Formats: sequence, C-alpha cells, structure tokens
Amino acid sequence: MTKIITTIAFFICSLLSAQTQFEQGMSKAFALWGEGKNTEASAMFERIAAAEKNSYLPNYYVALINTTGAFTEKDKTKLDLMLTKAQDALDIEMIKDQNNAELYAMQALIYTAWVVADPMTNGQKYSVKVMEAYAKGKAIDPNNPRIVFGEADYQLGGAKWTGVDTKPLCVQVDKAVELFATFKPATPFSPKWGLERALESQKNCKK
Amino acid sequence: MKTFFLAASFLFSIALFSQNTISGKITNEKGKPIAGANIYIEGTYDGATSSETGEFSFETKAVGNQFLTVSFLIYDTYKEEIDVANFKGQTIKLRENVNALDAVVITAGTLESGNKARVSVLKPLDIVTTAGSAGNIVAALQTLPGTQTVGEDGRLFVRGGEASETQTFVDGLRVAQPYGASTNNVPTRGRFSPFLFSGIAFSTGGYSAEYGEALSSVLLLNTQDEPDQNKTDIALMTVGLGVGNTQKWKKSSLSVNTYYMNLAPYQAVIPQNVDWNSPYQSLSGESVYRYHFARGIFKLYAAFDSSKFDLNQQNINFEEKIRTDLNNNNFYLNSSYSGAFGTGWHLTSGMSYGYNSNKVKYNNSDVDSEENAAQLKLKLRKHVSNYFGLSFGADYFITKFNEKFDDNIAIQASNGYDSNIAAFYTEGDILFSKYLALKVGLRLSNNSLLEETNIAPRASVAYKVSKNSQFSFAYGDFSQAPVVDYIKYSKYHQFESEKAKHYILNYQFTKPGQTFRAEAYYKDYSNLVQYDSKDIQYNSFFSNNGSGYAKGLDIFWRDSNLYKNLEYWISYSYIDSERDYKNFPTMATPNFIASNSLSVVTKYFITDWKSQISLTNSYSSGRPYNNPNETVFMNGKTKSYNSLSLSWAYLLTTQKILYVSISNVLGNQNVFGYDYARLPDASGVYNRQAVTPTADRFFFIGFFWTISDNKNDNQLKNL
Repeated sequence: MTKIITTIAFFICSLLSAQTQFEQGMSKAFALWGEGKNTEASAMFERIAAAEKNSYLPNYYVALINTTGAFTEKDKTKLDLMLTKAQDALDIEMIKDQNNAELYAMQALIYTAWVVADPMTNGQKYSVKVMEAYAKGKAIDPNNPRIVFGEADYQLGGAKWTGVDTKPLCVQVDKAVELFATFKPATPFSPKWGLERALESQKNCKK
Repeated sequence: MKTFFLAASFLFSIALFSQNTISGKITNEKGKPIAGANIYIEGTYDGATSSETGEFSFETKAVGNQFLTVSFLIYDTYKEEIDVANFKGQTIKLRENVNALDAVVITAGTLESGNKARVSVLKPLDIVTTAGSAGNIVAALQTLPGTQTVGEDGRLFVRGGEASETQTFVDGLRVAQPYGASTNNVPTRGRFSPFLFSGIAFSTGGYSAEYGEALSSVLLLNTQDEPDQNKTDIALMTVGLGVGNTQKWKKSSLSVNTYYMNLAPYQAVIPQNVDWNSPYQSLSGESVYRYHFARGIFKLYAAFDSSKFDLNQQNINFEEKIRTDLNNNNFYLNSSYSGAFGTGWHLTSGMSYGYNSNKVKYNNSDVDSEENAAQLKLKLRKHVSNYFGLSFGADYFITKFNEKFDDNIAIQASNGYDSNIAAFYTEGDILFSKYLALKVGLRLSNNSLLEETNIAPRASVAYKVSKNSQFSFAYGDFSQAPVVDYIKYSKYHQFESEKAKHYILNYQFTKPGQTFRAEAYYKDYSNLVQYDSKDIQYNSFFSNNGSGYAKGLDIFWRDSNLYKNLEYWISYSYIDSERDYKNFPTMATPNFIASNSLSVVTKYFITDWKSQISLTNSYSSGRPYNNPNETVFMNGKTKSYNSLSLSWAYLLTTQKILYVSISNVLGNQNVFGYDYARLPDASGVYNRQAVTPTADRFFFIGFFWTISDNKNDNQLKNL
C-alpha cells in the first residue's frame, strides 16, 4: 500500500513539477531580483517570456525591473537602454491585451522615469502621457491601488513647484492604502507591489 | 519488485532529467568580453547571464538541435542552431547594433531640435522661452551659430547667404512664402507658431539631396504626430488675443488655433521711430488634422494669415515722408502621407500649395503682386539592412507670379513668370560600423523657365573618434533659380540658376547635458546675377557672371551641468565673405554681413518663485555700408550691434502663466546701416540717414491659460 501511495505521490509530484515549471522559473527570477541581481533576474524573466507567450507577467517584470532600476541609474546611456528595454517588453504585452490596467500602470511608470531622468527635456512631453496612461488604466479598473496611488503620487511629486493643492491628492493616497489592504492578486505572481511607497507618501502627507 | 520499481523510476528520472551543459564565452567583435548578455535555448527556461569575463554555463533538459539565442541591448541579437549535446567552450561574437543610441550620426551643417533628434541643440521649449524670440521660430534660430542678425529684415541669413537662399519645409514640403509681408526696413517674422511643431532641423549647409532650390540653408519643420490631449488654450496679450483647441479621437486628432494681433497699444506706449497711420494688425490661424493608419500617418496642415499696416517713413531722397500702406493675404495648405509598406519600405508623399497676395501703396503708386506656388513630392526609402539604406524620389515645383505696377498717373506695367521645376534625387546611407557613416546623393533638376538642367552631387561622411566626439565632413553642389526681383523680368532676359559649392568640416563633442560643436566651412558662389543699373529694372542689363565666397568658423557650446536649474548656450560665428554681384563695381562684403557675432542665452528656473527667468544677449560687430562720398566701395562700417533681452515667466497655477518680456533692455541705439541720397546736395555731399529699428525696445505682457482635464499640463510651452 505504501508503495502504491509513494508511486502515486511520485507520479503526481512529477506531473505537478511539470505543471509548475512556470512557477519554478518565476520563483527563481524573483529570488534573483530579491538578491539584487537585476540583470540576471531580468534575463530570467526574458527567457520565461520567450517560452510562455500566454502570460503577460514575465514581460511585465522585465519592464518593472528595468524601470525601477532606471530611477537610480546615473549613467545616461545605460538609463536610455534600460527604459528602451522596459518599453519594448511592455509593448509586446500591450499589443496582445489593451484591457489590462496593470499594463497602463507600468506604462505610466516608464514615462515617469523619463521625466525624472531629465525634467527639462522630457517633462512637457511625458507628463501628459503619464496622466493619460493612468486615466486609461483607471477606466479599466478604478480600484487598482497602483493606479490610484501612482496618479496621486506623480502629482504630489510635481506639487512643490506647480503649486497644486495637495489635500485631494492625499485623500487619494489614503484611498490607495485601503485598496492595497483589500487587493487580491489574481495569481501568486501577479503584481502586488506598492504599499510601502504609499505608506511613506501617506506619512509625508500628514507632515 | 521493489528493486525493479526503484531501478525503473531511477532510470525514468534520469531520462527525464538528463541534462546537457552548454558553455562558452561572449565577446564583442574585438574579442573583449561582454558581461550581462542573456544566453538561452529558445522555448525553454534554460539559460544564463554572462559573467564579467563574458563566460557562461548552464544546463538544459532540451535535446537534439535547438536554437541558441544571445541577446544584449546594444548588440544585434544572435541566433544559431546548435546540437545541445555538443556545445561547450565556444566563443560567440556579437556585432554592435548600429541603431544603438550612440552610433555615429552625420552632423555637418545640421542643428537639430526636438525629441527625435539624437543631438539636440535646442530643446522643445527653447523656441518659446528664449528671451527676445517672442515665440518667433526664426528669432530663436538667430541665437545659433552661422546666422546673421539682420534687424531691419528679420529673416534668416545664413553663412554669407541672402535670406532668399534659405528654404523652409513643413513635413518635407516647401513653404513658398514662409515670412509675413513687410516693407522697407520693417522686420518680418516667421509665419509659423512654434507649438504645432515637434521637431526642427536647421541646416546651415551641406544638406541632403532631398532638398533643392536652396543655395545656403534649409529649415525643416515637422508637425506633431500626436497632440498630447484635449485642451483649450487662451492667450491674452498686450499685442492681441489667441484661442486654440485640440481634440483627440481614437485614430485622429485636430488642432486649431487663431490669433488676432494689434500692435496699437504697444506702439502707443513705446516711442516709435516711424509714424504709424494704422498699426500692424493681423488675423491668422493654423490647423492640423492627423489620421493614424496601421502603418502610416496622414496629415493635413492649413494656415492663413491676413495682415495690414500703414506707416510714414522718412526717406533721404524726399522732403516729405513716404507713406506705405500694405495689405497681405496668405494661405498655405500641406497634405502628406508617410508610412511603411512591404518589408523595409517607407513611402512619403504629399503636396503643398501656397497663395500670397500683396497689395502695397507707396504714396499714390500701387504695387500688387500675386503668387501661386505648389509642390508635389514622392519619396521612397528602402531599409536594406541595418548597414545600408537607399532612398529616391521626385519633386515638382510650380510657381506662377504676377506683379502689377500703377503709379495712378501715367505708368502701368505688369510682369511675372511661370516656372516649373522637375527634380529627381537618390541617396544612399551606408554605415560601415558604429563609427563610420557615409551618405552619398545626387539631385537632378530641370527648370523649364530657365531651360536648364542641373546635376548636383552631395556627399557627407562622419567618423566617431571616441565615445563622446566625432568628425563630419560634407560636400555639396547647390543651385537655385534667381529670386523674383530678377526673374519677373524673364520675358526680357534669359537667366540661369545661381550656384554654390559647400565644404564643411565639423567636430562635435557631446556628453549628457553638454554639447560642443565647431564647424569650419568654405562656400564658393558662382553664376550670381549682376545688373548694371541703380535699381533692378526690366531694361537693366542682366548677366549671370557674378561670383563670391564665404568662409568662416561657427562655435556652439551648450551646458546644463554648471549650476542646478541653469541652462545656457553660447554661439560664436566668424565669417569672411565677399561677393561681386548685383550692381557691385567690385568684390566687396555685402551689407548684411557682420564678421563677428556672439549670442549668449541663459535660462534659470527659480523654484521658490515658480519663475523662469531668461536673458539673451546678442552682439555683432559693425556691418559694412557704402558711402558714395568715399571712393572705395563699401568702405564704411556701422558701430557694433548689441541687444540684451529679458523675459520672466511666472506660473500662477499649473495652467495659468504670466509672461513678461522686454527686448533691448539697455536701450542701445542700434544702427543697421545708412541710406544715402541718390544725388549730392549743393555742396557736393551725399547726405545720409541711419537705418534703425522701428522702435528701440519691444515689450510684451501675456497671460496664458490652458483648460484641460489634466491639471498638470502647463502653459510654459506657449510663451
């Protein structure tokens, strides 16, 4: 009996392991990212993306890793390359599905990185695009916490020189924090980031 | 049984998990290791990232022949079919992608602005925020090297060339009448409002074979492909009112704006050097419609401009002031399609039409002119590979001009011309590597009016010497039909095209936030029109025997790293140019050329004041003039010219801006030249009169308001 159970278990395990190759790959990539190995993590996600055309997630994370990396990148040539890579990865998924709010949040983040990189050159062109991307995302999913927060945060960032009233923006930040609390990602690997920054922003609002 | 099962499952798992090791090294073409390249078996998760030494190693469960892919952003992606069991310790060389951002670009002669430009000398906002430019594209370009400030004219004078030697193109199509109408010594301005254009390329010489009928320079303006959002713009200014609206739909968009200008309030406040009977007034408007197809874009651009003024000017030859009453109507239409088809093909086609009517009354005489000008264009480009591209195309220019003169007493005359120019061109772009690029072109044109055919070869080459610097060299032959002042008499005379050869050597150094350019050039003019009379008349004796040269050095430096929130640029031009043309008795420097010019432009954003303060100082050394009291021709020299302009933009809220601008703050009494009397007075002396600006200062206060859903958009760009 034990043997049979063992065999079945073994069989199921191997079946499972076949099914979850995607999960293994994704977990490995996340682990690399967690260790700060951004290039390796991005490469891993890229490989998964090349093999799994049905999930938007690998390319989404290629875009996310490179965009978040670009925020702290000092070398302008590298920064251009990273954001170009992020945009290329996102474009692949955007063509497949124009009804995914997360992709619009990602798009807004890429544009934000361009603005941050060189406000004098890119501010005018990309500011509008940032807001446009959030507006499109909001139309699809008005309660996506990353969109609600991102939209408010972007305007808060510019508030110190545009003189925009920060009160309604801070209300949006509070709302985003609540939405983060109730947000249920569709799969274990679906985007769920952003709460920490929202809490930080909430603190600044209260100052 | 147990043993059997174990053994079986063991074997089974070995079969399942049998792995092959793939290993090797990634290098560039020179054998230097590349770190961070992504190496993988296509369709699997198996792969690795190359290490600092370029080495990689990974295991794969895939069997048999598989595709190994190596990708890294700035290199062409490498793909090879391999046998997974047999790929160990091999070196893969990646070829640098020539489309990468830092590849060499031919820069001789060309100054670019806009988002698409690789090296942008002007940023998108610069045209409007440069003090002294007052939203005039031409005025902003006059802060760049290679241009001359000719204050009494206002048009672009490039490297010893007359203003007519510069042609303006919108979306690749010629604008026959790019400037507002003007008269004797009253400066004009460009007709185009800057904020419908996303990219500007200004070539001061050696440009592509795609452009013809320009001896000195081309100004290429490209309308935006896509407006940012739905919005309404309102402008209240001391010189007039403006309203604009933009609507965006799924695949198309429409932008419309109209302006009414009236200089009466300004002329009432600032002392004027001429008497205005009726102030400068204009009603103008522009609209752009864009439609996006799957692989292309259609654009329709239309602009109209109706302007008038009436003034009295002192003239040295007459006791009484001369009255000039001018009415101008202008219409411009431009439609173009640009799109890709097939594999690597790109098609651009379009037509433009310009209509200009000028009615001028000098005292009692009437001079009425009318011009209809059209262009048809077709251009094809084939992207053969990343290393070779070929383009070819054809142009057809049609111009009909007619002018009527009536002194309302006895003399009536009518002159005009019809001209058709057909041209073909072809051009090849070759990239030998990331460091060496070559462009070779040929333009063939036939002018039916002049009954002549011209062949103009053009070539340019660029070589990148280090990460940040490169050299370019350009050569070209250019030809242009004589200007309307001559060619309108073509029924009495046979003219030929005027010709120029350009030789340009350019050095460019760029780093983030810094650009340095130095350009030396030599221009050889031939076939210039000469005449033998005091004025250009139908019975003058004309010839094409004139010649001339221009040589000089242009320096440009732009920096935004010096101090936070400070941007500045410095342009310096030295020119040595002489011509024997028009009715010159000998070779001499024409009166529009100042040998030294210097512009310094600064912009500083003060965050606490929510203000941008901009200063522009333009200096040029004295310009030659001819003093008939002296025996040597063109021997006089004016005092040097200097003008300091100041502007201040204040953000009231994100969408409301207050803008104040004053030109020539210091009130320099600038003199552009002298008009001498035609006849000497009783004591044998030719009297003179200085040519000065119509007013020493110009001031401008404006309030700009954008109404849109997006509260972050601001009006700064409309200044």
